[in-house]
Amino acid sequence: MAQMTNKTTNKKNTSKMLWLLLLACPLLARAQDVKIPPDVEKLSARAKETVEVTMDGPMLRWASKFLSAEDPDEEKAAKLVANLKGIYVRSYEFDKDGAYSAADVEALRSQFHSPGWSRVVGVRSERNGDNVDVFFKLENDKMAGIVIISAEARELTFVNIVGPLEVDQLADLGGEFGIPKLNSKSLAKAGKGEHK
Amino acid sequence: MTDMNERNKHANGLEDALQSSLRRQDAPDGFSARVLARVTAQNSTPVRRVSWLTLFSQPIIRWAALAAVATAMILGIHVYNLRREQARGEAAKQRLMLALRVAGSKLQLAKAKVNEVNDGENKNRQVKE
Repeated sequence: MAQMTNKTTNKKNTSKMLWLLLLACPLLARAQDVKIPPDVEKLSARAKETVEVTMDGPMLRWASKFLSAEDPDEEKAAKLVANLKGIYVRSYEFDKDGAYSAADVEALRSQFHSPGWSRVVGVRSERNGDNVDVFFKLENDKMAGIVIISAEARELTFVNIVGPLEVDQLADLGGEFGIPKLNSKSLAKAGKGEHK
Repeated sequence: MTDMNERNKHANGLEDALQSSLRRQDAPDGFSARVLARVTAQNSTPVRRVSWLTLFSQPIIRWAALAAVATAMILGIHVYNLRREQARGEAAKQRLMLALRVAGSKLQLAKAKVNEVNDGENKNRQVKE
């Protein structure tokens, strides 16, 4: 009788463990994602203008259905996002200098010192205090994501594009939407060394 | 002369005929009573008016009306949902374009900064040479 009770308890425990594992799977998967530190999220309260865009894969797919093939910008955007897994943007514009600390920016940057990420551009301007970092995530020698952290005197912007992205598409990203074309050679040059 | 006489005779004949047929004649006995009786009878007969609601007394019409109302409701809900979906999609599209614009502008800023540094280095090299 005692054995029977033990068996039932074991079965219950195993099923509980399975349920916990099932529930934890998405959390574990998310844990590997890039996180926006809470201090950075709180900056929106102090910002004059805030842009917060959070679009995961299904949302991107759905939104791209509404992109018009007749509009050249939208057509290129549709091609660009076709294989992406997510786009996350946080941009805060302040009405005075020093609204965010260097620690806030470092909390963002530090996540990309891990293997798999490589800093392609790192510009530190002592003249006007503008700092720009561009990180690429490489998987099997292919770009699997890009992160841009731009810290200007009165603006802090964090862009995380998750998913496979061709260099040409990246150039398109800089070249379209009313912005002059980005020369990928300049990024490659910058990748060779960090400018301070 | 003879012709003239003949014509006068004929005209007189016509005049007589007209006079006799247009002469005043009394109505036959009981004529007015009969007319009054008929008018009274016509007024007293109820006029049967058919209401449009009586159409629904027929089951087939009832079912058809019900089906039409149901179809209109389903279509209305469908159109409402489509419009709502369209509006949400447009908003999502705007957000996506905004995200791409921000990303593009920041990449452009990175490019500008890199070019600035490169130009500075080139100038320094030229000065040294």
